[in-house]
This record gives sequence, C-alpha cells and structure tokens, in this order.
Amino acid sequence: MNRRTFLSHAATAAAAATLPGLLRANPGAQVLSLPKGKAEHCIFIWLGGGMSQIDTFDPKKRGSSKTRTAGTDYDLVDTAVPGVKFTEPMAKSARLAEQITVVRTVHHTIGEHGLATNFVHTGRPVSGSTIYPSFGSIIAHERGAVYEKVPAYLLIGYPNVSRGPGFLGPKHGYIYLTDTESGPAGFSPVDRIDGERAQRRQSTLKLLQGREEESLSSYAELQREALRLAGPDFMRTFKLDQEPAALRQAYGGEFGQRCLLSRRLVQAGVRFIEVSHNLNFINGAGWDTHNAGHQNQYGLVQELDSAFSTLITDLQDKKLLDKTLIVIGTEFGRPGSFDAGGGRGHQERSFSLILAGGGLKHRGAYGVTDDLSAKIVENRVSVPDFHATIHAAMGIDPTKNLGAGSRPVPITDGGKPITALFA
Amino acid sequence: MVRLVFVLCLAATAAVPLRSAVPAAGVVTVEICEEGVPKDATWPTEAKVTERYTEDVFGLFELPHKYVGTGVRADRAFPSLVRASATVQLPAGKHRVLLRSRGPARLLVEGKTVLETPFDHARIYTTLRAVGGEVLFNEQDKYLNLGPDFRFAPPGNRETWATLEFSGAPQTVVLETLIGVLEPRSKTPFRPELGETVAAFSPAGSETWYLLSPGTRTVRYTDEGWAAYEAERRLRLETMNTAARATRRAEHAGYWNRRRDAARAYLQATREEPVPSLPPGFPAHNAIDHFLAARIAKVAADYDPKAAKPGSVDFHREIKPLFEAKCYQCHQGAKVKGGLRLDLRTEALAGGNADGPALVPHQPAKSPLLQRLLTTDPDERMPAMSDPLAAADIELVRRWIAEGAVWPDFARQSLALTPPADDLTFLRRVTLDTIGLVPTEAEIAAFRADRSPDRRTKVIDRLLADPRWADQWMGYWMDVLAENPNLINPTLNNTGPFRWWIHESLRDNKPLDLFVTELLRLEGSDRFGGPAGFGVASQNDVPMAAKGVIVSSAFLGVEMKCARCHDSPTHTSKQKDLFSLAALLAQKPVKVPTTSSVPMDHLTAGGRKALVEVTLPPGSEVAPAWPFAAFCDEQTAATLAEQPDNTRDRLAALITAPQNERFAQVMANRIWERFMGRGIVELPGDWEKASVSHPELLRWLARELVRSGYDLKAMARLILTSHAYQRAVDPALSAPSPLFTAPAPRRIGAEQLVDSLFAATGKPFSVEPVVIDLDSARPMNVSIDLGIARRAWMLGSTSNERDRPSLSLPRNQAIGEVLEVFGWRAERPDAIGGTRRVEGNVLQPALIANGTMMSWLVRLSDDHGLTRFVLEDQAVETLVDRLYLRLLTRLPSAREKAHAVGLLKPGYANREVKTPPPPAPPAGPRTRPKYVSWSNHMSPEANLERVEQNSAARRGEPPTARLEPGWRERFEDVLWALLNAPEWTHVM
Repeated sequence: MNRRTFLSHAATAAAAATLPGLLRANPGAQVLSLPKGKAEHCIFIWLGGGMSQIDTFDPKKRGSSKTRTAGTDYDLVDTAVPGVKFTEPMAKSARLAEQITVVRTVHHTIGEHGLATNFVHTGRPVSGSTIYPSFGSIIAHERGAVYEKVPAYLLIGYPNVSRGPGFLGPKHGYIYLTDTESGPAGFSPVDRIDGERAQRRQSTLKLLQGREEESLSSYAELQREALRLAGPDFMRTFKLDQEPAALRQAYGGEFGQRCLLSRRLVQAGVRFIEVSHNLNFINGAGWDTHNAGHQNQYGLVQELDSAFSTLITDLQDKKLLDKTLIVIGTEFGRPGSFDAGGGRGHQERSFSLILAGGGLKHRGAYGVTDDLSAKIVENRVSVPDFHATIHAAMGIDPTKNLGAGSRPVPITDGGKPITALFA
Repeated sequence: MVRLVFVLCLAATAAVPLRSAVPAAGVVTVEICEEGVPKDATWPTEAKVTERYTEDVFGLFELPHKYVGTGVRADRAFPSLVRASATVQLPAGKHRVLLRSRGPARLLVEGKTVLETPFDHARIYTTLRAVGGEVLFNEQDKYLNLGPDFRFAPPGNRETWATLEFSGAPQTVVLETLIGVLEPRSKTPFRPELGETVAAFSPAGSETWYLLSPGTRTVRYTDEGWAAYEAERRLRLETMNTAARATRRAEHAGYWNRRRDAARAYLQATREEPVPSLPPGFPAHNAIDHFLAARIAKVAADYDPKAAKPGSVDFHREIKPLFEAKCYQCHQGAKVKGGLRLDLRTEALAGGNADGPALVPHQPAKSPLLQRLLTTDPDERMPAMSDPLAAADIELVRRWIAEGAVWPDFARQSLALTPPADDLTFLRRVTLDTIGLVPTEAEIAAFRADRSPDRRTKVIDRLLADPRWADQWMGYWMDVLAENPNLINPTLNNTGPFRWWIHESLRDNKPLDLFVTELLRLEGSDRFGGPAGFGVASQNDVPMAAKGVIVSSAFLGVEMKCARCHDSPTHTSKQKDLFSLAALLAQKPVKVPTTSSVPMDHLTAGGRKALVEVTLPPGSEVAPAWPFAAFCDEQTAATLAEQPDNTRDRLAALITAPQNERFAQVMANRIWERFMGRGIVELPGDWEKASVSHPELLRWLARELVRSGYDLKAMARLILTSHAYQRAVDPALSAPSPLFTAPAPRRIGAEQLVDSLFAATGKPFSVEPVVIDLDSARPMNVSIDLGIARRAWMLGSTSNERDRPSLSLPRNQAIGEVLEVFGWRAERPDAIGGTRRVEGNVLQPALIANGTMMSWLVRLSDDHGLTRFVLEDQAVETLVDRLYLRLLTRLPSAREKAHAVGLLKPGYANREVKTPPPPAPPAGPRTRPKYVSWSNHMSPEANLERVEQNSAARRGEPPTARLEPGWRERFEDVLWALLNAPEWTHVM
C-alpha cells in the first residue's frame, strides 16, 4: 500500500467518531451528559521540573525565601477576574484572566520527576504491560492534522517516551525540533543546499527510484512526500523572521519564540503542539526550584508571563484563540514552605494546571486550596479529569475506547470533564 | 598458547587468598583484593589478594571481568583494592612523577608513600552537591597541565604529582587504588571503575611523560600514546575475558555433557521426522528444500483453478487483511470470543455459540458474519467496542459471500519458485543477515573471484565464524528480552545492562539451552552486565511477573501479558499460571498486588458479558509451580536440573529439557523467521494465535537443533545454505509467500541500516561515551555507564524527561533519531515477540535526506573513508563502479553510470588540492576541555556548553581541504543520492 498522506493518515478516518459509535463504545457511561467543545488545535506548554503554583497562579499570603517564611515569595496582583489573584511577575497574564482558568486543585501521588511527567502526559500510572500514549498522541490519533498535508503532532523539546504514542504506534508520534533555529529534524538540511545542488541530488536519486519491487516503490513514494514537506510550503512556517520585530520581542527569548512558532504551526494546520519551556538557563534548575534554584525563579516566571500573555493576545488578534486551547502543564507543584537552601521541594497532592482559550467558559480560576495551597479545599480535579476536560474541549469523547492489543483502553482513566467550563 | 598463560595468571576463585607478590622482574603485577578492605574511607592494612595478573606498564583503565557460574560477569566486593607493583629502575636524578586514578590512590616507593590522592567522593557528592547536579562549573578550572603534550585528566579522575629523587637503583613501586568505594550516607557504592589509573614520569630536563614501566615497553603518556595503548590493551582484555569464561564453563562440563547425553537419548527414544523425497522438478540444497517442495507440490495438486474466476473477490488479498485487522484479535486461535474462529474456513462454517454457522456461501442475507457488520444494535454489532467497518469493506464481504466465500489454503500466485538470487544480491543479503553490515569491496572482490561451485557455502562459513555475528543478533535479543538499562534515574521496567552477557554468549556461541539456563538463574552482576540484570524491573511492583511474561513468550511462545491482571480474554493463560511462573523466578510465593487486577464491577458495567475474568483476587499468594505441564512433565526437573531444589534451576531445566519439544521448536522458528522473513509459526512469541504452516519441517528443524547441541550457528547454517533462503525475491511480494516459494524484500533493521551506512562510507562511528554520569560522581544505583559505542546496538536512552540540554548527548541523539524511525527503541520497557514489525513512515526518508547523522556521512571530511577513496589514482569510470559496489553491492546500470560519470568527470583530473593550507594554529594556550556531567548539569554554563556541543554535532566535521570544493560538492551530491537509494531500506 502506498501511503501518500502524512503519518496520521489513518487517524483522520478515525476522527469521524459518531455519537452512536460512542454510545456503543461504553454503553455504561452517561454519554449524553458529556460536554463537547469546539477547539481545533491545542498548544501544550510544558514546564518541566514542577512549577511552583504558590509563586505564580495560586498565590497566598506573602512569605519570604530569605527568612524561610512560608508563603508566596512575590507580591500579589489582581487579575481581570474579580477575586482571582496571580503573582506580580505574572501581571501581564493577570490582565487576561478572563481567557484563563487556573485549575488549582489538581493532585496525584507521585513525587518523582520522570514518573510524574509520565503521569501528567498519559493520565495513567506506568504499567508493566502497556505503554500508554500521551494525550497529544491521542488527540493526533483521534483527530489527525487539521490540514491533511501537515503533521498532526509537533514537539518543540526533547523526545521521550512520555510524549510518545505508546501502543497507538509510531504513526501517531511527533515530529520534533529542539530549538527554533535548526528546524524539525529531517526537514531542514544541515548544509545549505542551493538549487543546483538540490537538482543534482534529485536527478541522481531519480535513477535509483525506478525499482520494480513494490516495497521499494512505496518507499520512493514516501521520499517524495518527505521532499514536499521539506519544501517551502510547510517549512516557511518555521521562518520566524517573517514576523514583525515588535511581536517577536513581545514573545521574548527562546521560549517565547517557541510559543510564536506554535501559533504559526496552528495556522499551518497542525493539530497538537507541545512546547517545552525548561531550558534551565535562567536559573540552572528550571522549574525544579530546590535550594538556590529558587533564587532566580522570578525571571523564569516573568519569561513565562511574557510568552503566555503574548500568545493569548496574538491568537486573539488572529481570531484563533477560540479555536486554540492553550494548556500549561507541569509534573507537580511546590510547597508553600521553604527548604534549608531557600528553595522549595515537591508537592504532588495539590498543584495548578492551566487552561486558556479554546472556546471554554473561562473563570480565572477553578477549585480552592488552603492558605498555603497545600491542601485542596473544594473541587478536586484528578489528572484524568483534567485530560477529560482537554479532550472534551477538543470534541473528543474521553470515555471512548482505544485498542491496546486485544484490550480496550478508555481514552482517560475514568476522567470527568470540568463541566463548569463548558457553556 | 596465550590463553594458557592467562589462565594460570587469573585465580578468580582461589579458595586460599593469595599473599602479596614479590614484584616479578620486567612486569607489573596487578593484584585485586576483595577481602579485608574497610568500608570506610581508609586504606586497608590486611587486604587479601583474590586475583592476580600481569601488565606491561603502570597504566590501567579496566580490570579483566570476574566470571562466576558457567561464565557470567559478577561484581567484586565493594570496595575492592587494586594494587599494581613492579620493580622499576629509573635513571638517577630528580624526575617528575604523576599519580592519577578515579578512586582514591597512593603511590609507594620502597614501601614509602610518595603520592596520594584524597578520599573525596563523599565531599564531591554531598558538600559540592553533585547529588543534585549542582557542582560549580568552575570546579573544572583546577587541573594539572605539566607540559606541552601532557595528557589532561579525563573527567572524574583524581591526580597529584611531585618531583622525586631516584638513586638509579631498582626500586619497588606500588600503586594502590580503591574501586567501588561507598557513599557514606546510603552505603551505596560508586561504580567500581578505574578511570585512568596510571603512574607516569617525566625524566629530569624533559617535558615528555611516559607511563612508568618495569620492562622494555615504553608508552608515551600523551593523548595519542594513550589511545594506541588502550586500543591494544582492550584486545588483550578481551582475550583474557574469553579465556576466563571458557575456564568457568569447563568447570561445569560434567553436568552439561550429561545434558547432551540426555538429549541424545531422548532423540533416540522418539520418532524421527522423515524427510520427504523431492518431488520432480524442484531444486534442493538440503532437507529444508525437500519439506518445502513436498508441500508446494501437494498444494499445487489440490489447487482447483475453477474456484478462481477473474474479477472475483480474492480472499487472500482482500478479505483476509480485513479479518486480520478487525476480527482476529478476538476470533483467532484456540481461545476465542463467542466460540467463533474466523482463521479457518471449517471453523467459520461451523460457527460459534450464538449465531450458528457464521457463513452461508452464496447467501449473504443468511450469513450472520455479514449481518453482525450491518446491524445498528450496539450490543450486536461487530467489531465489538470499536468503530464499524467502512461501507466499502462491508460490501466487499457481501460480494465475497455471494460469490461463494471462496477460501483457498494459500494465495494463488505463490506456487512458482523464483530462481536463485544472483551472486551479489546473495552476498549482500547473507552478509546483512549474519554480521549486520553490507559486504566490503574486498569481500565482494574475493567472492566474485571465487568460481568454485560451493562459493556460497564458503561465504556462509566465513560469516558464521565472524565475531560480528554477535552484533547482528544483539538488537533482536535486547528486544525479545526487554533489555532496558537507563543511564540515570530509574524509569519503568529498567533492567541492568545484561546486553554484555547477551553479547558474550553470542560471541561464545553458547548452546541455547545454556543461554536460557544462565538467564533464568539470574546470577552474576545486576548493574554491570550479568544475567542478574534481567531480574530487575524498576518501578514494577511484581518484577518477576514482568519477567514471567517475557520468558514464556521468548522461549515457549506463550503470550501471558494479559494474565498480569486477569485471565486473558483471547489466550488460554490464567492469571495463576503467570504468578506461579513468577514465583518460580522469585524462589518464593508471590502476592498479587491490587495494581495487578481490575475491579470486576468495572468489567461488567454496561450489560455486555465481561470480556475478561479476574480469578485471583488481589492479596492472593501463589506458590512456585510449573504452569506448562502440556510441554513438559514437572518431574523431569528432578533428574535434569543441576540443582533440583532451586526453583530457578528447575524452571530452566523444564524449559530447556529435550522433552520440552516446544522450546526447541520456538527457538528454531525464531531463527527461521529472522532469515526467511516469516515464521513457520507467524508470531514467534505468540503461538496461540497462528497455525503452523509446515508442522513436519518445524519438528524436523527442532530435532536438528537438539541434535546439534542447541547450536544457534548450526541451525543458521542449515537455513542459510538452503535453496529456499538463497532464492531471488519476488518483486510483487511485500511479505514472503507462506509456502516459501519466494522471499520478499525484508525491511532492513535499524541497526543494520545505520551500521552499514557507517561501514560502507568509512566514516568513523563516533559518539560521546554513553553515560550521563561521566565523572562517576553518582552512586551505582542511579547511574549506568554503557561505555564507548562502536555499533548501533550499544547506544542507550538518555530519557531526557526534564528537557535539560545539559542532560542530552547530541551525537547519540543524532544517530538515535535515525535508529528510532526505523524501529529501534531507545527504551524497551516491554518485549517484542520477534523481529520488529516496522511500517514505512515519512520520517524515514526525511532523516536519511536531511538528518544530522546523514550530513556527517555525506560530507567528505578528513576522517571520512571516501575522502581517501576518491583520492586514489583511478579512472572516473572505475571510481563510479567501485562506489556502487561499495555502497549498493552492485554495479551501476549503464544509465546510472553515464549520469554519475557525467557529473564527476568535469574537474576530476584536478580534484586534489596538492598543498592544502595548514590547519589554523590553536588560538591561545592549550586548556583542558570542559565537560558536562550529571554532577554539574544544573549550572547554566553546563547548559551553554552542551548547547555548543549540540551545534558542533549538528555541524559535524568540516569538509576536507584536500579536495577542490566544487568537485567535492558534486561528489557529495552523487553520494547523497546513493545513500538515499530505496534499496538501502530493504534486505533484497
């Protein structure tokens, strides 16, 4: 079989999930009450290391890392939503809080980075027998690319299993790039190959592509597909210098540029983009702000604020915000108290994940934690619930079964969407 | 000859500790002391020598491995003392002396300590905060620079020096170092590595450094001098290790000879499988061809040409793929849903429990199979729990039934044999299949020059004796046994790096029954390459259940994955079977944890009958028991096992017993599948789901395997020499014909492709050491060093879950990304049943066209093999011919040749730059290169350094100045095209 279309060719077929189909998939579930959003794209910003919710999106009484006094280490600011506060380094995003919901009551029980990263990406504890797909791969699998001729799932960051397609198979994996300069691996040549050289290469290759074996001719077909993708149509998406200088500046440094690239990828028809933030240049530790890592966290938060707020307004300007769900994820949060080195440890029993845009009924914040954001007071949200909310926003039924060998696996592990966010 | 000497030198199991040796003349005596070494950071006073061998000079980087049992790597005590002593005579005068090593070390001259490096592992780990990766980058500014070509200390070595006065008389020099010292708080050892343990000196008035030598050997301690010395010593270490393994195995010869006798006796007592006579007109090289031909002749005789009307639906082409995709998960094999099998026509006609016959030929309306596809009732519709079939597919099924549901045994077009593949195609195929590389020009020339009728068999024998045979099997066993070491913190199902045990087993061509026995005994080192590493499954609450799933599938073809949590819906294995097996491996009863279960109310929700059943409630305890009585009587272990009281040994004996015909058949089928592209049983790790296409052949092969002493190479030789293996591919086939009339092009394995690309171009396979903890600052439970990779299988996963540039390995990544799109897995938390099934995807040609690794291979740098090649004095036409042979193992077609010559002829005469500009002198003084390791990875400078390394990796080596750039670029363009040729992607 020749597969002329992109990696997720088969996924587009699966996208046409019908309500009767869903009913049959899990007759026991109350399918009719499931909310269904209209988002077309998802940008998933990943803050590896464990973002401190108390210093960003769920601030509490003022504390001090200098004196090891528990509490938020920065001043608080009001947001556009009455009663909801962010910290001062998040001030730009605070003004956009009507487009944002901070889900403040996410929780799980895993305090180790790798395992928690896997859990927040897949919604399931690691299993000895099944490799679960990331929700990015699930969305790519269920909905395919928006435009058939582009990949469904792009990753700006390092490849790893947590981000991968698991049992869905490599077709539903990502194409990745580790920095915005070099472009996606496999689609941007290392050496500049000008027209004459490219022509010479292709003319020589052409003679080698005419083999009669069916397996070889279908590979040659894939070669032509790769050549098309490496061509100007898709690759111009990666040319950030086509953007106005002021906009690029507003997005900020490499992380901001990644967010800008994500917006361009949305415009190009990519369904799901994961953007990793943790370059750990600003403070070494990235978001894993133990000890001294905390001292320069302020700059890190500011960088996030600039990029996140600019992404929201930019998508708004391009009339894409309602179609594009922005998610900020991290493996866990951090406690309100400080460690001996003036930083913060890990806190998985209560932390914040963030949703913005995507046509949801935003409310600034959802769920309430106690006075040090250490305990959940109301509206607990599990990671499967959070995933169910994302899937529902993307028009995907979170109870639908995926096949893993002979075993049906529901898209989320019993997750229920946060109905308050759906109009 | 050499071997004998080493055997005498090594005394690994000496019951009586050796006394410290008086230095022998002319050599360095190396002693290893496992006993009497204190656990705290002090020097031993009464260490007992447990092993001894000799070296030429005071330069150590790795000890010979310690082997236990039948020859598996084991750990030495943590810590152990290594002492190198010799009588050294230096000229009278004041000389500079250097001591360097990874562990704490001291140098004694005539019993007096003259140099000493500190016990500072704990200080670096805790005080400097290597534990969290927070060692300051400028810690690296402290290093010794003692001369213009002085070799800087590699990462993680301690060093000190002094000027010492020597009398000119022979003096006793002793170097002592500790390996595997303990981290004081956790009491966990650091990796027991030597780093570069050397004593060197620089004679008075000189700036040159030499390794201290008691004899005639002189080794300059410079980068080049050390590299040559290390390469030479590595070969010697390998010889020593091989000899040591042979010694261990010989100690158990008595038992294994009895096993051979038992196998022979069993063969004698049981029916031989008669080899059918060859039907007329069929070619045959050996018995395999007789079996295959007899089957083809029979199918041809039974074939009814009337059944195939032109234009009618073709079952094998159109219906079977649908069934495979949509029905066979539940309706194939011994255990099926609703009692309905759709893998055999007779079964489909007989029907299942609910509907009666599933098929009524010519009557679609009366065929429940079709009606189940059409109904809108969600409880009735098939396939259950997933999307309905596309309307076009349903129509196809309707037409097929209306036409009479014609269901021939084999696809029609596959009854004619293809002729033997031509010589060069055969050579490329067999070389890839045995050593994982394409043949070299020399190998091609030798083969073409040999006109003897048995030249193919000679090639096969040469390849079977090639040590690289082991490399070609590595990826396979690492997949099947889920070898999964992680370089840093454990993730799911990490194992030890038992790849080294697999590799040594293949190098030794260990009999397969011994191979399995060693694996299941789980002896030796868990973190440094023994089979004990297989017994580990990090983050898994019942590791032995995970291992049970792997073992049953790998060696018995029994898939038990589902049985971890419930009785399998589609396999006969029960949860209890798996936990009994787990208990055999655990050597004690195993408790079923709640995570290994599913709530029953969950399963029955919704009305449909539960697909699965949980028969072992969480908390149940399951005792060790052999769950496969059908394959072998449990009593067999009592007489066959070496230690019948040991449950692991019992398990090994029961799996590998000659009575267990299933084992030999599974192994024979695995070998067959690898070479033939299709199993006699199609899923080598799951026999329940497929029928046996050639039961007599399989039985015969299995008996031959037993007869050969479970010899993998003997079985390979049988298959490779058969006519069936050597036939030309059928270009129309995408999978080999089930009758083995013709092979199909087989997708090349990821490692075969990458290794061959490097080998064919002559570009060095050069990546960073496969280790994140480069300076050995982390305890051994959270760091693994996979060393210097020379073949693709040796790479590992960096698992950079934290997105830290500092934790990446850019050159590993550049190769790993290519390997991965062709099916290699950096992480193997679960096993693959057999040969990987990889689909084509667009990233494959993309990375071959534009990836970083390929840019290294295409650019003619000074170290590139083709740079030397194009500079040879030869006609451009010859160059093109040789290039095609070298890369594609064939001559170019007339068109291809004319095209390439046309591109390369202009400027060919002047391609060489006779006097290339000299390389730019280094800017500024020589400094020790900075390194990034776990210990310092949190520092911003470490990230910047690694980002620079990443750019450097992406840039690759610069183009050579010895070639005129315009011509070089044209050659590179031709090379690019040849490396992108689709024929690289398949074994033809």
